[in-house]
Amino acid sequence: METSMWLALASIALGTYLLRLLPYLWMKAALTKKQMEGGISAMPSWLTILGPTMIAAMFGTSLVPAHLDTISWLATGAGTLVTFAVWTRTRSMGLPILCGVAAFGMIMLSL
Amino acid sequence: MSTLIRPLAGAPWLQGVKDAIPLLGGYIPVAISFGLISIQSGFSVLETVLISTFIYAGASQFLFVAMAASGAPLWLVVIMTLLINARHIVYGPNLAPYLSEDKKWIPLMHGLTDQIFALAHARLPQLPEQERLGWYSGAATLAWFSWIGGTALGAIAGGELTQRWPLVNEILPFALPALFLVLIIPRCNNRLWSITIILSAATALILKIMGYPNMAIPLAAISGATLFYALKNQRFLGEH
Repeated sequence: METSMWLALASIALGTYLLRLLPYLWMKAALTKKQMEGGISAMPSWLTILGPTMIAAMFGTSLVPAHLDTISWLATGAGTLVTFAVWTRTRSMGLPILCGVAAFGMIMLSL
Repeated sequence: MSTLIRPLAGAPWLQGVKDAIPLLGGYIPVAISFGLISIQSGFSVLETVLISTFIYAGASQFLFVAMAASGAPLWLVVIMTLLINARHIVYGPNLAPYLSEDKKWIPLMHGLTDQIFALAHARLPQLPEQERLGWYSGAATLAWFSWIGGTALGAIAGGELTQRWPLVNEILPFALPALFLVLIIPRCNNRLWSITIILSAATALILKIMGYPNMAIPLAAISGATLFYALKNQRFLGEH
């Protein structure tokens, strides 16, 4: 790899790290300042809304199968339903995911 | 989302590792694909592994190797990849109220990917403050190592692996939507949040199918948040 490519790689790596770090430091400083001033340290409400909607959006994008055919969609639907059904019974993380993947896999393999 | 604080029975880092295990189903197959594509784009095994180690952001890594291989100007490559990663700016602030003043959080922010954010957003509020650093370290380290390991595997033997077990590549990634579902479903505890979550997910799904995978997450999240405020202001749906 040429020097210019290494520089590009380093810039992207540093930029990505700072995109993750700086907003955290900014919010931490803002919360601490608010606390020291005797106020209630609360995040802006739009941020508390955007967090869950980002996770919901990740869920939506991750649902799209690699191949947009009927079997893949059927398997995606079944896997989602099984994950949800097992979660409603166990309220845990591991077992619903395992059962969801198993249901998805069984349909992908059997049809 | 449940905010009942429960101390962990074992070591916090070990529980973090256990909670992050479902991520592997999504990380490893994608990392293998990245390793394979990076080698095919002309990068060496070492360069490929270094990209995964230091950039550590799936979509932007694929874009980086594709644009670099096509001969795009490097300044454009840098800007485009950082634009894709710009969605990360809301992750740290959302977790900030749950993190202590410990300086160890600063290097640990390197591990704040989409999936680790989703996991930490759900789990950190449930843990006592003194256990959060250990839990996050375990979860983030497992995810990072699996991404690096998967990349190395893909770079060295990706072609053979995908030929021999093609379905593994298609089945295991379903662990990711299953994980996101169990993380977000507790938030659907009233009509307002349920409608917001469903709309955000549906918008993201449609945008991705329409061919906008990189814009899907931020656009859908903003749409969902806008709907949340619109419905809340109309007061049609009762208390939030």
